[in-house]
Formats: sequence, C-alpha cells, structure tokens
Amino acid sequence: MGSSQGYFFPPQAKLLESALDILGDEITCGPLVTSRFLSLSHSKKEVPAMFTGLIRTIILYIVIIAGIRLMGKRQVGELEPSELVLSLIIADLASVPMQDYGIPLLTGLIPILVLLSITMILSVLTVKSVKFRAVLCGKPSIVIRDGLVDQREMARNRLTVDELLEELRVKGYTDPAMVKYAILETSGQLSVLPYANQKPPTARQLKVSVEEGGLPLVVVSDGRLLEHNLKALGRDRNWLDKQLAQRDCPSVEQVFLLLVDQSDGIYLARKDMSI
Amino acid sequence: MKRLWIAVAILVLLLAGSLVNGYYVQSLTERMTERLEQAQDLAHQDQWDRAEQITQQTYEDWENHHFYLHTTLRHSDTDRISTGFRSVLQLLDQEEDAQYAAANADLVAQLELLAEMEQASLVNVL
Repeated sequence: MGSSQGYFFPPQAKLLESALDILGDEITCGPLVTSRFLSLSHSKKEVPAMFTGLIRTIILYIVIIAGIRLMGKRQVGELEPSELVLSLIIADLASVPMQDYGIPLLTGLIPILVLLSITMILSVLTVKSVKFRAVLCGKPSIVIRDGLVDQREMARNRLTVDELLEELRVKGYTDPAMVKYAILETSGQLSVLPYANQKPPTARQLKVSVEEGGLPLVVVSDGRLLEHNLKALGRDRNWLDKQLAQRDCPSVEQVFLLLVDQSDGIYLARKDMSI
Repeated sequence: MKRLWIAVAILVLLLAGSLVNGYYVQSLTERMTERLEQAQDLAHQDQWDRAEQITQQTYEDWENHHFYLHTTLRHSDTDRISTGFRSVLQLLDQEEDAQYAAANADLVAQLELLAEMEQASLVNVL
C-alpha cells in the first residue's frame, strides 16, 4: 500500500513516536507536534480498504483451498476442502471487528459475505459439473484392491501404513487381506468393503423372518409429553395412559424416555426421581 | 441455479459498492484538499480570516460525512484527520505561518492517503 508515501522518518521522529507511544495519545503538546505524530502513526495501515479487502479475500480463499487440496485427503478430516477453508477463515474474520471497536463492522462483514457467496457459487458448480467437483473436492482413491495395498495411491494421499491399519482396525479389520476394497473418500474417511465371505450374514441370507419396527419416535422426554409425535403414531392420550399403567408407571412425569415405533414396540426408561 | 445467481449478484454488488466507495472517497478528499490548498494560498497572502473560514467550512464538510466515513474507514484514520483539522484551525487562529503550512500539508497528505487506500489498484491488493 502506498500509505507511507510522502513521509520522511528521521531517527528523531522514530524516537518521538516511541516516546509518545509510552506517554499515550492524550499527551498535551503543541498542535504541530501532535499533527506530526499523527502523520507518523498514519503510515501503519492495518486494515485493507473495501475493494482491497474484497479482492484479497478471494485470492486468499483460492490459495487456501489449493493448499488444502495439495495436503491430501487425510488432513481434511470430515469436511470438504471448501467447507474447511470457510470455517477456518470465517471464525477469524468475525472475531476481528468483534474485538477491535476501532474497525468498521463492514471490514468483517464484507469478506464474510464474499466467502459465503464464493462458497455458494462453488457448491452450485460442484453439483452441476463432475469435472469441477473433481478439481475442487478431488476423487475417491482406492488404497486397497483385492487385499493388496496400493502404495502409489497411499503416497499420493500422504497416507501412512500406520494410519491405514488404524482406520482398518476402527472398522473391525485387522488384516488388509480381509478387505476387497478400501476407498479413501474425498472427505478423508476410509470406506472398507470386505470380501463377501468376510461380511456378516444378513437375515435375508439366513432366510430368517424379521419384523420391521419402523422409525421409533420419542413420545415422552424427561417427563414431558410430545403430543405431535403421539399424533404422528396415530395414538392418543388414553392409549398412552393404558400403556403406562401396564408397566406400573402412574404418570408421564415419572417417565424419563418413552420411545414408540410404528409396530407399537415400546421402550420405557423411568425417571430417577432422586436426581 | 437461483442460489448461484444470488451469490453472483452479492459479489457483483459488493464489487460495485467498493468501486463506488473508492470513487466517492476520492472525490470527497480531492474537493477538500483543493480547498485546504486554497486556504493556504490565502494565508500566504495574509488573508488569515478568509483562510480560516474556508478551512472551517472544509472541516464542517468532513464532519457532515462522519457517519459514512466512520462506517467504511478505520476509525483511527478518520479521527486523525478530524484532529488534524482542529490543529490547522488552531494554527490559523494564532496566525502561525510556518507551523500552519506544515500542519496543513500534513492534513492534505493524510486526506490523499485515505483516498489512495480506497482505490481499486494492484498496489493496494498486493
């Protein structure tokens, strides 16, 4: 920035600046000295102006996304690169005008609006274009294929053997040979698909008939009746009272949690009245 | 698609706003620096009252834009210029020729720097 243009900084001026820094701005001195001091301090521009802030935000956002993409998927964690960048920058941007009252609110709001707009544009483009999605979010990498570890893919994603084994153990596999495919997703998570003979059998494979319970809904939560859920189940208060009476529970207030599914399966946890 | 156009519209609006802000601050400070330079010429011609009157009007003009300037620029920068105006007015009142010239030049430079900061230029971005 050209903020220091036209100013001369002799050693005495620097000395004066330091002295005034120590004594504080409220020092009583002649108008000329005050004015000189103000002009010296003026050279320290810390906050970018509107246009500068807007362009800098765009540049920094792109640079950070590129940097995170280069870091590989393992460092991303559960967020997509653009989401990670957004959460990293917005938190910092919002805190600046919150802490420094000398900065206009717009200085924080404009970059946040710019970031949100760019993210919105990128999210729409990633939905519309497969190529763009691959550039922005990357592609899933197959790190184990037919029980064999693909070292090239691991190196490309900065994934170490220890990390791979740890992820496999978390998924319940101790040996890569048990795994048909292990895929490192763009979110950084590892999806493990075992060989068919390593998968637990399903009820269908065992030809066992299993009753479908449906989605259980919370009917009583911490002594409070959630009537809309009771209605959604097609039941009323009389039915509920009867169910409670059958379980030796005199009132709703004495229920900590009551779940009911669509086939009238009931889970009841009584409230600990001593707490 | 609607969300895309809303986001693009916000970005365009912000870009336009920042350019208009740059132009506005530039024209405001240019007008003020011209008047401050005119006041300085009058002071050199020993027309102190007229110089003070022009500087006072410029100061009032600055103060009239206080809300806008305070919401778009760093407060310490606008406060410095307000203080600069008061110093210049005091020196005009005392008819201190040399000190007034220096303080006035300083004030003009600060106004120019303020406008420069808001300009859409590569130097500012870098």
